[in-house]
Amino acid sequence: MRLLLYLLPRVAAALITLLGVSVLVFLALRMIPGGYADILLGPFVTPEAREAISQRYGLDQPMIVQYWRWLVSLLQGDFGISMVTQKPVIHEFIRRAPVTLELAFIALGLALAVGLPLGVASGIRRGGRKGLDAARVVGAIGASVPDFVVGSVLIFIFSVWSLWFRVGGYVPFTDDPVGNLQTMLLPGLTLSLFGIALVLRTTRDAVLRVMTEGYITAAVARGETPRAIIRLHILRNAAIPVVTVVTTYFGFLLGGAVVVEVLFSIPGFGLFTFNGLLNRDYAIVQAGVLLAAGVFVAINMTADFLYAVIDPRVGS
Amino acid sequence: MSPLAEIRDLVISYRTGSGGLRALDGTDLILTPGETVAVVGESGSGKSTLGMAIGRLLPGEAHCEGGTLSVAGTDVLNADADTLRALRRDKLGFVFQNPMSALDPTMRVGKQVARAMGGKPGQKEIEALLTRAELSEPGRVLRAFPHELSGGMAQRVVIAMAIARQPALLIADEPTASLDASIREKIMATLNRLRDETGATLVVLSHDLRLIARHSDRVAVMYGGRVVEDGAVETVLDAPAHPYTAALLSAAAGSEKPGERLDPIPGMPPSLSGRCEACAFAPRCTFAREQCRTERPEPRVIAKRRVICHFAEDALAAPGAERRA
Repeated sequence: MRLLLYLLPRVAAALITLLGVSVLVFLALRMIPGGYADILLGPFVTPEAREAISQRYGLDQPMIVQYWRWLVSLLQGDFGISMVTQKPVIHEFIRRAPVTLELAFIALGLALAVGLPLGVASGIRRGGRKGLDAARVVGAIGASVPDFVVGSVLIFIFSVWSLWFRVGGYVPFTDDPVGNLQTMLLPGLTLSLFGIALVLRTTRDAVLRVMTEGYITAAVARGETPRAIIRLHILRNAAIPVVTVVTTYFGFLLGGAVVVEVLFSIPGFGLFTFNGLLNRDYAIVQAGVLLAAGVFVAINMTADFLYAVIDPRVGS
Repeated sequence: MSPLAEIRDLVISYRTGSGGLRALDGTDLILTPGETVAVVGESGSGKSTLGMAIGRLLPGEAHCEGGTLSVAGTDVLNADADTLRALRRDKLGFVFQNPMSALDPTMRVGKQVARAMGGKPGQKEIEALLTRAELSEPGRVLRAFPHELSGGMAQRVVIAMAIARQPALLIADEPTASLDASIREKIMATLNRLRDETGATLVVLSHDLRLIARHSDRVAVMYGGRVVEDGAVETVLDAPAHPYTAALLSAAAGSEKPGERLDPIPGMPPSLSGRCEACAFAPRCTFAREQCRTERPEPRVIAKRRVICHFAEDALAAPGAERRA
């Protein structure tokens, strides 16, 4: 009951957010100069041909009518048909889901595997002595170097010296697990660098803050071992802000990492949406953005739910 | 009787941006088993630093510049980590000012109490301990999270955790300051009852002279990082020998008659950056003379108490002391 009352307003807010996103992406797309007809037929198209294309896809209708039709079909689970492939776009997204999902999990896994232990260690050590803190340097670099720079550098290095990895040439995991990892680890690493910095800094700050709390002093005063204090008191209390950023980061990853997917030619959500945009294939871009937003919102709701589980004070 | 804890000439400073801040400037305090000692002083007098120093619980910025501190035969200042942990676990019990912050908000009370008891105590044993701390519904309390308790209940939980391993020395730093006035007396009574039961020494640090004096055997008044007067409660309160103790009594509410004014102590407590080469109280003292401003007073025993004042005899003879007696 407590959880329900806590979550209900959040679900309502999520739906309103999604409605807003649908309006935004719809309007933004139609404000980009050039439409599908221009892309398909080239610059020397006759007005009649353009008219025929527009009529065929309903693009000649008033914008409000177009939006309404889209919204009604969305509510029926129909994300529209790609003008280029003439197939339902949702199938294309489902087909590409495993790719984006795999990339997201690689990046998240790396971010947690490196960021969490370094963040905890860095936070706890700061309580003792000062000096150059390597973890802080890593955090600052990871947070400030954009992924297209990291990706480009990695592509440069591993194109010259292969060193087991492969740049581009994606193969599905089910066909060739090793070849799949060879192609996916570099983009995963590129994506994870920001995540490592994010997790590291958040964890470090959270641990530092928790260490000044009275219950930590109280636990020390009771003669608890440092191990027990970290495990029982510091980690759980520091987890709340970390869960926030990790879930947000994961939502961002699942929405499709456009830059990295384009850079490494990874056929996931990001590359697909990007190509849809180049072709002015409205249904694809609309569905892509809305799916990304939906995943993001869903992930954030999961985070809200997790807080309530971690911190008994939330929602009561 | 051999002392339980001996603090001699303890000097502790905090490193700050601008030099250091000397919180303890040669503190002496000797605790014997089974007594209740009230350590009284304003904020900044060094009493909390003293309390935390006994368990070596001071933050990293604090460091000891001299003196000795031993508890139950352990040299606290030079003990290694394991010895120190064993001392904290088996000999010391701490009760903090704010019980809510002393309990982990994400852990059920029962589990926290069980941790304090050590081993794997059963529900019955945990409930028995909570009952000893006078919690009326131990079953409900141990299933609760800290935020579901009232301040008084939370403080009783903290007290239960402090006595869980039969400590020889219980240190309570402003144990009632964050609680409603109506339950302060009850918490103090509980602490004293438990002291009697366990035979522990109880040290209560407080600014509220009158409240804790009623519940103590001995009072140690702190000012400027030193214990300026130390003796049996009746001795000190009936006829204070240090002008600061006298001023504290005049400033404290509780014994005044209708229409009588309370006398605030003018000025501010000192913040020292190094050893005080004068009497720290001299700037605020009505008895102060030239000697007080130039010569550091040393402890001496007069009229059955230990006092740090050049003119303690004058303070004793002052009419204010007679009025209060």
